[in-house]
Amino acid sequence: MASAQLTDEELFSQLKRLGFTPGPVTENTRPVYLKKLKKLREEQQQRGSRVLKSRASTAVSTAVSIAAPRPSRHDVTQLSAIRKPGRKSSVLGFSSDESDAETPLKRKGLAKHRRITVYHQQLAGPTDKQNIAGTTLNSFSSPLDHQSVHESSRHYDESGDEGEEEPENPHSVNGREVTGLNKTAGEYSDSDEDGVLSPGDRERNLPEPRRSRTAAPISPSDNRDSQVKGKNSSPNPPGFRKMVRAEDEEVNGEELDPFGGSQRYARKSIYVSLAEQRGAKAGKNHFDSEDGAARSNSGARFSVGLRPRFSGYSSPAQTHNKGNHSNHSPPPNHAYSPTAPKKKLSVPEDELLLQFRREEPASSGSFSAHYLSMFLLTTACLFFLLLGLMYLRMRGSVEADGVIKRHPFGSEFDQSYAEEEKELILTLLLSLHNHLAVVAGQHDCGDPQHPNRSLSMNQSATYLQAQNQEFERFTLVALEWIIRTDQELGLRLLGEDPHVPVTDVSEISQLESTRPRMPFTCRLRKAFVTVGSKVLLVAAAAAMVWGVVRYLKFRWRRQEEETRQMYDMVERIIDVLRTHGEACQENQDLLPYLPIPHVRDSLVLPQDRKKMKKIWGRAVCFLSANESRIRTETQRIGGADFLVWRWIQPSLSCDKANPMPSKVWQGQAFPLDRRNSPPNSLTPCLKIRNMFDPVMEVGENWDLAIHEAILEKCSDNDGIVHIAVDKNSREGCVYVKCLTAEHSGKAFKALHGSWFDGKLVTVKYLRLDRYHQRFPQAQACSTPLKASSLRLSSTPSQQQTSSAS
Amino acid sequence: MSTTSQKHRDFVGEPMGDKPVIALSGIGETLGKKLEEQGFDKAFVVLGQFLLLKKDTEMFTDWLKDATGANSRQAGSCAQCLKEWCDAFL
Repeated sequence: MASAQLTDEELFSQLKRLGFTPGPVTENTRPVYLKKLKKLREEQQQRGSRVLKSRASTAVSTAVSIAAPRPSRHDVTQLSAIRKPGRKSSVLGFSSDESDAETPLKRKGLAKHRRITVYHQQLAGPTDKQNIAGTTLNSFSSPLDHQSVHESSRHYDESGDEGEEEPENPHSVNGREVTGLNKTAGEYSDSDEDGVLSPGDRERNLPEPRRSRTAAPISPSDNRDSQVKGKNSSPNPPGFRKMVRAEDEEVNGEELDPFGGSQRYARKSIYVSLAEQRGAKAGKNHFDSEDGAARSNSGARFSVGLRPRFSGYSSPAQTHNKGNHSNHSPPPNHAYSPTAPKKKLSVPEDELLLQFRREEPASSGSFSAHYLSMFLLTTACLFFLLLGLMYLRMRGSVEADGVIKRHPFGSEFDQSYAEEEKELILTLLLSLHNHLAVVAGQHDCGDPQHPNRSLSMNQSATYLQAQNQEFERFTLVALEWIIRTDQELGLRLLGEDPHVPVTDVSEISQLESTRPRMPFTCRLRKAFVTVGSKVLLVAAAAAMVWGVVRYLKFRWRRQEEETRQMYDMVERIIDVLRTHGEACQENQDLLPYLPIPHVRDSLVLPQDRKKMKKIWGRAVCFLSANESRIRTETQRIGGADFLVWRWIQPSLSCDKANPMPSKVWQGQAFPLDRRNSPPNSLTPCLKIRNMFDPVMEVGENWDLAIHEAILEKCSDNDGIVHIAVDKNSREGCVYVKCLTAEHSGKAFKALHGSWFDGKLVTVKYLRLDRYHQRFPQAQACSTPLKASSLRLSSTPSQQQTSSAS
Repeated sequence: MSTTSQKHRDFVGEPMGDKPVIALSGIGETLGKKLEEQGFDKAFVVLGQFLLLKKDTEMFTDWLKDATGANSRQAGSCAQCLKEWCDAFL
């Protein structure tokens, strides 16, 4: 659209319809907003075309109808009047029908659904008026409707400035931009239609078609609205408007048509935008339309309250809009909705929105994926189960010896007997074998019926006879054959003496099966028991090994700790002795040696003495063995013999020089004023940089030294509650948390720009939540830390005195 | 402090008062002159424009580019500078 045609208000409402809340349009901001409008429209067009393709046009019709009822504020009074009630009813009438339609639509989900439902509702409502719109819309492809409905729902949100689009009633349109109805209906239909009709249709710039579509005055606005992507389900008009706007946007490609003429354009754009924007822009449009609609309509239909909701919904719904649009929209919506929103609509809207919202996450592409995974899992489980069962069954079932078919007796057997005799013999053996197997199995399972695992000859004979009379003849023969054969048949013939192999049939007294066939449950039970015991064994072994390992580690660590403590003690003793030695030098009255117990008692706190006894002992031994500057001797002090230490003054005094560079504060580099520090302390957390170089640090507890240094530097500040030295940072970062921002400000002033250990320290503020993320233990700290009073080692004066021996 | 210039820090560190428009980060002599021609002779007037655009850095950047021919870096720097100033003082 030619910018010349746009007044400030039009531009404003247009932008609002697209879901973007602009600031005041002045001579300076005008060009910016024009550019923005163009951009938004292009986006809408893209979205609209995408949407169109995907959806049926039923939405369109509904949209249309909805649009109709929606009085695009500016329009037709009666329409508006009718629309209002219609709208309400439509909104109320909306049930979750639309949601079903919406569900497949995975776009912005919530807003969309809402819109569509609202849309449909609206459509359902004032049908009379909307008929006009409906018819027009219907004329469009019905598939579009559906889609447009969806889209329009989307557009709902966006349609803001329906009025803008109407060139015919610039004022009314402008005034009533908000009426969502127009937008919704129009948008729906428009969008759908546009989508279906494709840009060609857009050329319908005639107000009539639009009017018919929108059924009423709204049409012009509708056209506009159609541009809106989809009306939020919220206020009907907004939705409709959105559609219109969507259309518009689509058409925007060819320069914003005059709004007036853009009626059809708006409509089409709605469709197109619905279709196109459905895709990427859906979110954006949603938002835009929502915002726009909300804004413009705010007065009209939807309560302001709805708007924030929509905004809320839109935001989660992926909006392509620039963030700022979204951000801006909600607030302005409120601001811009001049007329009191229809509260009644808000309630059902809310519920609808909620419905949609919940449905939204449910329906998604992952739905099928979830089921698929479950299905696969159950299949695998079943498969393995079956496999196990089959295996067990196989194991359990004694394979038919196949004696019937094949026998282990060799060809000799075949030759000696006739066929049926052979069969008899083999059957006999088979049944005997099975019976024995059962007996043995049951015996093994602990069945009290069979105390013996084996059957005596008589029992076997009786059994066989019971099976088949004919067996009697062949019993002995069969047994003889068994003896003759070398193969393992699963039958064992035992004589009087179990260990002597049976050589003759007459010797047989017991028959036993070597392959017991146990009942299934018994087998299962045994299997479980076996497996379980084995697993337990393995687990026990592993646990033992693990326990041993842990114990060893613990021991090792403890030893290390003790050694460290010992060395620490040794150092302290040396220091004490050294100072004493130095003092002795200056003051000749002092004895040049110190009794060991005295040293111990002065170094170790009373409550620790018992604990440190062992360490102390080790330290003493270490000193006597390894320390050349200290001599252990026995002296008589005050009438009692003491083991004493004498500090032997070394000839060189470099020994005392600290090998480590002194960690001291060395002054301030620059005065802190407003230029190089924030005027007010922003957060209670500080990040201090360049306090150390992790590569160069030696010793174990240099980080404690850093702690101390910081605490000493801020000794006047009793608000530091947590210090953390990042040992691995190349920048030498230390994190500090204070009680309040004020304390951190003081610490900042004390630390920032100071020289420490030859490095220039810088401080900056950190966000409290980030700090807590990083150091969760700091959340609980609330007691101010104090520098340990042992040594103020980080202040220069002390260092120098100590080093000067 | 790591990626902001001294000018930025100078501006953001204190209320702008009556500072000229070239005190803004990213605005040099040339751009300053152009702004002054359009009536933005003081930094607070540019602030006014920024606020009119609802403190939207993107829009402000666009505007600045259109109004003065600034490049993205300059405009972005100016927008960022104003934004931080607003965060600190507004």
